[in-house]
Amino acid sequence: MIRSVRRAVTIAASAGLLLTACAAPSSEAPRAENLSWSEIQEQAQGQTVSLWMYGGDEQGNAYVDDVLTPAAAEEGVTLRRVPVESTTDAVNRILSERQAGVTDGEVDLVWVNGANFGTGKQAGAWLCGWTQNLPNMEFTDPEDPLLLDDFGTSVENCESPWHKAQFTLVYNAAAIPDPPTTFDGVLDWARANPGRFTYPAPPDFTGSVFVREALTNISGGVDEVPAQFDQASYDRLAPALFDRLNELAPSLWREGTTYPQSSSELDALYAGGQVDMTMTYGPATLPKLVADGTFPPETRVLTLDEGTVGNASFLAIPSTSGKSAAAQVVANLALSPEQQLAKATPEVWGQFTVLDIDRLPDDARARFEALPSSTVLPSYEELSANAHPELSADWVSPVDEGWRRSVLAGQ
Amino acid sequence: MSASTRSFRGTAAVLPAVVLVVVVVGGGLGTVVLQSLGLMPFVGTPELSVDAYSALGGDLWRSVVLTLSIAVVSTALATVIGLAAALTALSGGRTPLVAAGLTVTVPHLIGAAAMALLLADSGMLPRILGMTDGGWPELVGGKWWIAVVAEYAWKESAFVAVVVAGTLATRVAAFDETAATLGAGRWARLRLVTLPLARPALIASAAIAFAYTVGSYEVAHILGRPYPEPLSVMAIRLFTSIDLQTRPQAAAAATIATALTVAVAAVALHYLRRSAAWK
Repeated sequence: MIRSVRRAVTIAASAGLLLTACAAPSSEAPRAENLSWSEIQEQAQGQTVSLWMYGGDEQGNAYVDDVLTPAAAEEGVTLRRVPVESTTDAVNRILSERQAGVTDGEVDLVWVNGANFGTGKQAGAWLCGWTQNLPNMEFTDPEDPLLLDDFGTSVENCESPWHKAQFTLVYNAAAIPDPPTTFDGVLDWARANPGRFTYPAPPDFTGSVFVREALTNISGGVDEVPAQFDQASYDRLAPALFDRLNELAPSLWREGTTYPQSSSELDALYAGGQVDMTMTYGPATLPKLVADGTFPPETRVLTLDEGTVGNASFLAIPSTSGKSAAAQVVANLALSPEQQLAKATPEVWGQFTVLDIDRLPDDARARFEALPSSTVLPSYEELSANAHPELSADWVSPVDEGWRRSVLAGQ
Repeated sequence: MSASTRSFRGTAAVLPAVVLVVVVVGGGLGTVVLQSLGLMPFVGTPELSVDAYSALGGDLWRSVVLTLSIAVVSTALATVIGLAAALTALSGGRTPLVAAGLTVTVPHLIGAAAMALLLADSGMLPRILGMTDGGWPELVGGKWWIAVVAEYAWKESAFVAVVVAGTLATRVAAFDETAATLGAGRWARLRLVTLPLARPALIASAAIAFAYTVGSYEVAHILGRPYPEPLSVMAIRLFTSIDLQTRPQAAAAATIATALTVAVAAVALHYLRRSAAWK
């Protein structure tokens, strides 16, 4: 009821905006009030925080509902999880609220990274200058590049780290007894086995990463592609990428005339045995998918000699949130060794921690080191060997759009 | 009470609803049109231009053709199947109407998901038939958008059947019997009595089905392929793009889709007014 009233108010506000002015809102990022941590904790008491996050990950939903929410309740904060189909929905919501001048918006915390963070930051959608005050930040490495730079956008205390992820190719060892060990090898294998490989169509997140990985590898390695986007480099490197992918297309699933629209569609093809490889930015979910029989029992992770791309994801507070104190309390809680450990446990969620194990108290460190390993999933150290950081978010749209025009529409 | 007072009272009674519709729909559409013309940018200064339309280029026309093809084929199928179901129901067969009644309550999203589970490459049907290793036609995500058309035809035929059966139920029996006593045969009664009586309801429900199909997003997204894409899918893809510069293009696609719907609604209204039973 309250939601629908608020929606009506938002609509009315938008209509009002239409009548009054057509100016774009200021893009300056609001700064957090300068309060001590105990003052923030005091303000947070009794507040309800709406955490908007991608809702398609059942383990993630269960972790937030069963582990994080009760822990937040102990700190006096009610945590409400709002599932969204795509993080962009949350960002759009914040941008609309900002355009309408809302100061107590629907969104208080967002699970975000990459281009969504960059776009939001560009439009002043995030509250900045608060993460340095979180007590649990002391357990992270202040020099960790993945936590300082989010797809080329400087983090600048506008979001607090939550987990790390590693882009991973996954294969069925029953179908591929002798798997390739390089990215080039994967493309060659795909050509030698027509119809057994494909990738999701960008702008799907995973498909988009795959095409950028292809860009890096086809261009000759990490050093050949400048991390910051510039049109000249794109014009120089993109044609070879699209040529190679077009050349590969006839060997793909359905002769490359079409592509899965999402990574879950690709996963369904892999689970059904239509293709022999899939790919994910969240390999932590693999053991469970194999254990419950969704994926074939011989599912294995394909580690590449040259490494794959890794990133971190974060919790950000919208500048339109009226509950920023409670949101900070939740972000700090999510960063605590207890929560990070629970989240890293494969049965719970299996997300790689953002903490620096060496900075933890002895007992917490011992518990992290005792985390069980799996035949499906190697350790984070092994997975992230030779890992490279994401290209800047400015690369994403041109590469996605170029792929759409040159590869998808070029059939 | 004079006729003009009565008409004034009628207007006053309907005014709250009209105001609400004008503010909400008019406000929304106005925003979309302004955005598509570059007058409401997220970043930068407002400036009148048709860049958003021209930036879509040939894709826009491919999307228009695809959207119209899907809508025309599925509306035609829905109308024929729905009319047949309604006529069967009126001549005593209860099953089609019960099936239609149940189908109408199923949300399109659920219908699309069910179609995907049933017809996709590794769906239930190919599994049952042992065709997951090849040979299964490309129904979901295929070149001919068969699963999409099937979903719309299935759901909308139920809607057409319920509406047409509802309007015919009260009147057709008496007319039909009269015609029969005057010596009209089965075919003549269908052509000269039943169809003219059903026509307004048929036109109205077909127009609603068409408008829904043009505007609907989830079915085409779940059961379709990434390229070419219907206008609604294009609009949402561009609207949710991380690149804020594509917002005006999303608004442009939405404007074109709205224009198509309005045009079809206008044609349908025109035929409704001309139809004898309307008067």
